[in-house]
Amino acid sequence: MQRAQISALGEGALAAAPQLIGIVPWGVVAGVAMVAAGLTQGQAVAMSLLVFAGSAQLAVLPLFIAKAPLWVMYATALVVNLRYVIYSAVLAPYFERLSRPWRALLSYIMVDGMFALFAGKFRPDDGRPHKHWYFLGGSLVMWTAWQIASCLGIFAGALIPREWSLEFAATLALIAVLIPLLFDRAVVCAALAAGAVALAAAKWPLNLGLLAAIAVGVAVGLAVSRLAPENARGEEGGG
Amino acid sequence: MSESWAAWALIVGMGLVAFFTRAVFILPGSHLKLPATAERVLRYAPAAAIMAIILPDLAFTQGALSISIANPKLVAGLVAFALAVATRSILLTIVGGMLALSAARLLA
Repeated sequence: MQRAQISALGEGALAAAPQLIGIVPWGVVAGVAMVAAGLTQGQAVAMSLLVFAGSAQLAVLPLFIAKAPLWVMYATALVVNLRYVIYSAVLAPYFERLSRPWRALLSYIMVDGMFALFAGKFRPDDGRPHKHWYFLGGSLVMWTAWQIASCLGIFAGALIPREWSLEFAATLALIAVLIPLLFDRAVVCAALAAGAVALAAAKWPLNLGLLAAIAVGVAVGLAVSRLAPENARGEEGGG
Repeated sequence: MSESWAAWALIVGMGLVAFFTRAVFILPGSHLKLPATAERVLRYAPAAAIMAIILPDLAFTQGALSISIANPKLVAGLVAFALAVATRSILLTIVGGMLALSAARLLA
């Protein structure tokens, strides 16, 4: 590695460090929640490494406990992860000159916080050749912190008594993740409509009420954004 | 054994889903400006999904809808919502919510 690469790597790592305050407790909760949902410790570690998407993991666990069909759980994970499709579209021009393994690595390791930092700091064609090292440095810090925190939750979580209801902490973490996503009136309406349908359709078979709730929520959000257009675009946050 | 099969199918499938959503434009290196409506759908859907998971978990106790202050999870969830809005801190939201759950259970 050259000096400039190492310095970009370190610069990214430093920029990402303040976000660890949010990542660590969230990782611990995800670890605890996976074990509480009935995954073995090995399975929980594998999920943490392979999926590496906290909100999708936390969202799917209640469905796993309720023995929902696999395709419903896949669909839920897909929907919760859809925001990454936006990030992927935004970041693609930044990374288009990199090799395929690089692009695969940076895709796998991408998280909300690093996307926001990176897209705020660089332009795709600003002539700075080492920006992918910056992205990698920051992402590696977050990835490592998340994996360690998650393992802490997985192995310590098994020792915590059931009466503490620690699985409830997963729902609380989802609440904390949800708030930054509610960036304008239309998305608030989308979430409220989805919540109402989810309550009404909670007894539908195969957890189909959840998918109906998402569909209605998106439709309501689009309708509100059409009827009352708003320029406000909050920043992205959370996980 | 079937339980274990389901868990591994979930883990591997979710791993593929998570990688797909992140890599979908980066890996092929495509240049695409998402249409505004597509971007809206992609932003609204995750918020809708997360709310649709949270609310039933708070409002149902032992399989029955319970929208009342006698439902400790609902009380704790409302406290957590308030904390999340006020502090934007995951840590404070979780700690405050768990304390509220314990308090609400003692009082219920």
